Amino acid sequence: MEGRGKKVRRLATGFNRVLQFLFLETVILCSIFSLLFVNTESTIVLFIFDFLFISLAFQLIRTLSLKFGLLALGNLFGLFCNFIFDLLNIVGVKYLGEIFLVVYTISFPILNVSWIVTFWSLSLAALHNPINVTRNQP
Amino acid sequence: MMFEILMGLFFLSTVVMLVYLARHYVFTLTVLRRSRTFDNSKIVATSYYEPTVSILIPVRNEEYVIGKLLQQIAELTYPHEKMQVIVIDDASSDRTGEIIEAFATRYDFIEVLHRVKEVGGKGKASVLNFGLQFVTGEIVLFFDADYFPQRDIVNKLVREFIDLSVGAVQGRPVVFNESQTIVTRIVTLERIGGYRVGQEARDVLGLTPQFGGTIGGFRRSVLEEIGGFDESMLAEDTDLTFQVRLLGLGVSYVGDAECYEEAVCTWKAYWNQRHRWAKGHMQVCFKHSFSVLKSKKLTWKQKVDGLLLLHIYFVPVLTMLSFLAGASLVLFESSALVRALWFVLPLSFYSCVGNFAPFFEVGIGAYLDGRKRLQWLVPLLIFACLFNVLICTKAFLDVSAAKISGRGKNEWSKTKHVGIVNRYNENQLLRGKRL
Repeated sequence: MEGRGKKVRRLATGFNRVLQFLFLETVILCSIFSLLFVNTESTIVLFIFDFLFISLAFQLIRTLSLKFGLLALGNLFGLFCNFIFDLLNIVGVKYLGEIFLVVYTISFPILNVSWIVTFWSLSLAALHNPINVTRNQP
Repeated sequence: MMFEILMGLFFLSTVVMLVYLARHYVFTLTVLRRSRTFDNSKIVATSYYEPTVSILIPVRNEEYVIGKLLQQIAELTYPHEKMQVIVIDDASSDRTGEIIEAFATRYDFIEVLHRVKEVGGKGKASVLNFGLQFVTGEIVLFFDADYFPQRDIVNKLVREFIDLSVGAVQGRPVVFNESQTIVTRIVTLERIGGYRVGQEARDVLGLTPQFGGTIGGFRRSVLEEIGGFDESMLAEDTDLTFQVRLLGLGVSYVGDAECYEEAVCTWKAYWNQRHRWAKGHMQVCFKHSFSVLKSKKLTWKQKVDGLLLLHIYFVPVLTMLSFLAGASLVLFESSALVRALWFVLPLSFYSCVGNFAPFFEVGIGAYLDGRKRLQWLVPLLIFACLFNVLICTKAFLDVSAAKISGRGKNEWSKTKHVGIVNRYNENQLLRGKRL
């Protein structure tokens, strides 16, 4: 019975590692795709998100797979947002002229920070764990 | 020439903001690490220390809230024979005086001081200085009328003074009317970022936790040495914090000494309160910056942090300048450096003023407090930040104009309290919840 339990645990650990590897791979692929198919700025934005997420959210007591999963999801969401912004830019410049490029350049970082803040905050809510709470509720 | 000026302005202001972001990133990391290794043995070791305590409560037209505060004060767990409570009625025109008198008759340790109309209404610092003449306790604590303290708050605050290097102590305000309006929710987030992370990190790192004017106090000997509150300052609390630090004494932050407060609930009240804070903080900045820089009692780390703290209300003004300069540069000249800085700048748009708590600091603070739903509102901080840009710019213009013209008369705008915290508390108590 004990041997079976050990086997299950080992299997679960192995599964988790594969899962974490896949998530990590997603993160790396998102950065490469953003660099190749969107623009350098979007890659920098993804790096900023990854830095904040890894350095802060990874210190909270939850499973590593969940943290990697949220990180990968954030990168996919960020890549999607940047792809949409880029398409918007192309369409805007085509129909509205060069002036749209100026609007885009000014608003692009603000739009990007908006999704970073939103996704980061929602991720923290998803990572909620009573063990981490260090204060009684009023 | 114009381009160089814009470039210089943009570069400098963005770098300053990056420095602030880095400072608060370190704060957040510090608190996160501490939350995993918190040890409460210190609390047990010092709980026998019970010096005499004087509590000063300045009040002016607080009939809706003062009764509940005094009732809670009467129920404090600290030995009553070691407590002196002085309520200073600053020429109230409502039933405040009557309510305080009723409590003073019932409890020996509660004393009342009435100020007549001719001397009243000159601001909190003036009232507190008046009250300080009558204190007898070794430790002097301050509470505002709209606060609702925990029953053991005095024990928690006073225990810090067992360390002779501690000159002042500060507890934690917790917003109780959080669900009232969107403004109260934003104030809650600001408070969490500022106290749960900012103040705690500064305490842990040996920097300067700030005395917030209430839920805190000083050694009486320190107050006597300083000469009480500076009545020419609108932020008399921040002024006193730096005076204590310049004496070489520490300010200690006690995160578990909680007091429940009524936050401002409209944008107008928010504007008035923050404008007063911003103006006052800028006055303190002009007064103490040079002293902090040349102080021999502060380490270089404390000096740097002290200067950053003193200049914190200038940051929203810099944000606006940086944004305008950056936008102009992006339009005319888009070098790699400009684009890189332009990219980082919006991160500071999600920072609360007063403590410059960036979104990640607020988020982690809310997380550690277990405020799961409140985290969803962190993106809304951008509205508070934009509002604060206007508030601080106006305060900066006001203070500069006063400096230039030499007419710096302070107008004290008192925040109105309607007693929502008490109504909330009553509901909680009716449900059988002990606060």
